[in-house]
Amino acid sequence: MANENNKVITLMCERSADVNDLLDADGKIKSVDGLHAVKLPCSGMVQPIMIETALKQGAAGVIVCGCQIGDCYYREGNKMIRERLLGERVPTLKKATDRRRILALWLSRPQKERFIAEAGEFVKFVQGLPAPEPAAAPAAKPAPAAAKPAADAGPKTEAAKKAEATPEKKEPAAVVVDADGKVDSTKTVKPASEDSNDKDPKIEVEVAPIPEGRGPLEESSGDK
Amino acid sequence: MSAYEQLIKSGNKFFLVLEDLTNKIMTSKYNPLYYHGALPQFYLWVLFLSGLLLFAYYIPTVDNAYLSKGIINAWTSVEYINDKIPFGAVVRGIHRYAGDAMVITILLHAIRVWFTDRYRQYRWLQWFSGIVLFVMVLFIGQTGYYLVWDERSLALTRMTVYALEGVPLIGPGLKSWFLNGDTISNYTMSNYLFIHIGLSFSLLFGLWIHYVRMTRPVMTPPPAINYVLMALVLVFVFMFPITSGKMATLNGTPPTGFEMDWFFLAPYALMNVVPSVLVYWLIVVGITVGLCLLPMPWAFLIKEPPVEAAEVVLTKCVGCNLCYLDCPYQAIEMVPAPANSRFKLLATVMPYRCSGCGVCVGACAFDAIDLPDLPDANVLAQVKQIMEAK
Ligand code: HEM
Ligand code: SF4
Ligand code: SF4
Repeated sequence: MANENNKVITLMCERSADVNDLLDADGKIKSVDGLHAVKLPCSGMVQPIMIETALKQGAAGVIVCGCQIGDCYYREGNKMIRERLLGERVPTLKKATDRRRILALWLSRPQKERFIAEAGEFVKFVQGLPAPEPAAAPAAKPAPAAAKPAADAGPKTEAAKKAEATPEKKEPAAVVVDADGKVDSTKTVKPASEDSNDKDPKIEVEVAPIPEGRGPLEESSGDK
Repeated sequence: MSAYEQLIKSGNKFFLVLEDLTNKIMTSKYNPLYYHGALPQFYLWVLFLSGLLLFAYYIPTVDNAYLSKGIINAWTSVEYINDKIPFGAVVRGIHRYAGDAMVITILLHAIRVWFTDRYRQYRWLQWFSGIVLFVMVLFIGQTGYYLVWDERSLALTRMTVYALEGVPLIGPGLKSWFLNGDTISNYTMSNYLFIHIGLSFSLLFGLWIHYVRMTRPVMTPPPAINYVLMALVLVFVFMFPITSGKMATLNGTPPTGFEMDWFFLAPYALMNVVPSVLVYWLIVVGITVGLCLLPMPWAFLIKEPPVEAAEVVLTKCVGCNLCYLDCPYQAIEMVPAPANSRFKLLATVMPYRCSGCGVCVGACAFDAIDLPDLPDANVLAQVKQIMEAK
């Protein structure tokens, strides 16, 4: 399990920092060990639950990368996910989500170098974090090794060992939201506000009265 | 890749580099290029306000037949505003230069949306209404120059009448509409004022069309940018004060030339060089229509599959409104849910408005809306694949 704890997944807008020439067919970013990318049309498509799922499956960290705030091709996508990460817009991250493992970068197309620098630093940082509690990482499923006859049997395992060897120490919340292509470390991704339900973001749904009195929220949220 | 695509691509690169630079100097929060649509909107408010103040003292008449001491007409009222009213010259200057600034910022806005490929497909209405707005703004600016009623106004009036008369079939009608009669009279002046102000207010209607498919259009720059925009205008107001030409006289020899203003009067320069009025209209109408059609599917000039609109999973949608609130293109409508549903509302996507951005996917906590191209399940599968690969 700890073996898988070295991967960092970037949920990445295809119009933001252009890493195409560093990306292999399996979504691995070649220049940083353990860094992977999944491309989306817009960072606004990122659901907080995607981040949570990646962490649950054992990712050491998740990076959300969108364009410069103000320059979203779709006008508002990056603002939306930014607000969701900051807990200002529903759906938000669950309270229990380890926010140290999430990084948001807002970088324009030519800012590849910057992406690599920031992401590399973050990868090192999260790999140094103590492994998440077992309960949070049901990565027990045996990985079908044949499923990916990938060319990426690189030296990743070393990084994993490093992660294992890290001493238990509590880091301060280190997740940063980058507003100008400059890391703004004063702005951490804060937990969803106190009143928000841990299971579900507070979402108001207008529901027709149901005789059995069963609410829709429990039911619909169960299927994720 | 076609030459056109190449052009757009290098244009895009130009803006990316420029914006990178402006971001470094001003940070993205104060980067004026990120408020490209809000800049002309700001100047429009300035124009409305300064125009209102000018309107208070402006008198739309051409009377000078009995030119003597106390004559009052458009020209003298403008002089009065300029010389006698406290800050009159400043307000007049602001009105003039804010107009010029509006043209510049509209061009910047239009070129940016064009070069960054933000003008076609689901955005065609914004582009189309934008061109109409721009033509209206140019015409409003021209009518502003008629209102001063100096020799330039007279020359412009004569040229306009000549051009309108030359339109086949409806020419004479256009002429008498424009002059509000057969000859230049006091009625002409009140018509000018009506066109100038009436069209200005019609801009608001045009802007409504321009904005109707955008959620929360960015119309107001941060105050700091507004101050700078205003300061720029004031610099010109004080460095290059506005003056009128000589008062127009209807019974003297007509003026043969005038001082050019390239922001608004460029069509008159064109009129001077074309062989006939008909050619002039063909060029003017041709350019306008051509620009309007630029985003149309058969003129895309860019080969690309059409946008695949987001789709709602009817059985999963609980009608929570979140996608509707977050969609940047007003593409989602909440309709009453079918009778057998437990919920009151159901999200529906208007495919012709949808950009395929997936913001609604990010907004939905119920997994009920998806892009056919890239469902969220697909994203999760990719994540899983990466996690499971060794
Ligand atoms: C009266 C002048 C104009 C004003 C005040 C104006 C204002 C705006 C504003 C505020 C936006 C919203 C920007 C955003 O929030 O993303 C916008 C969008 C847009 N405008 Fe204009 N505009 C004007 C003229 C034009 C012209 C001349 C064109 C081009 C021919 C144009 C094309 C567009 C397009 C295509 C968009 C959509 C951009 C996008 O979806 O990202 N506009 N305009
Ligand atoms: S966010 Fe999802 S559940 Fe809510 S209205 Fe939209 S599609 Fe339906
Ligand atoms: S993909 Fe969704 S959010 Fe984006 S324009 Fe279409 S309906 Fe709106």
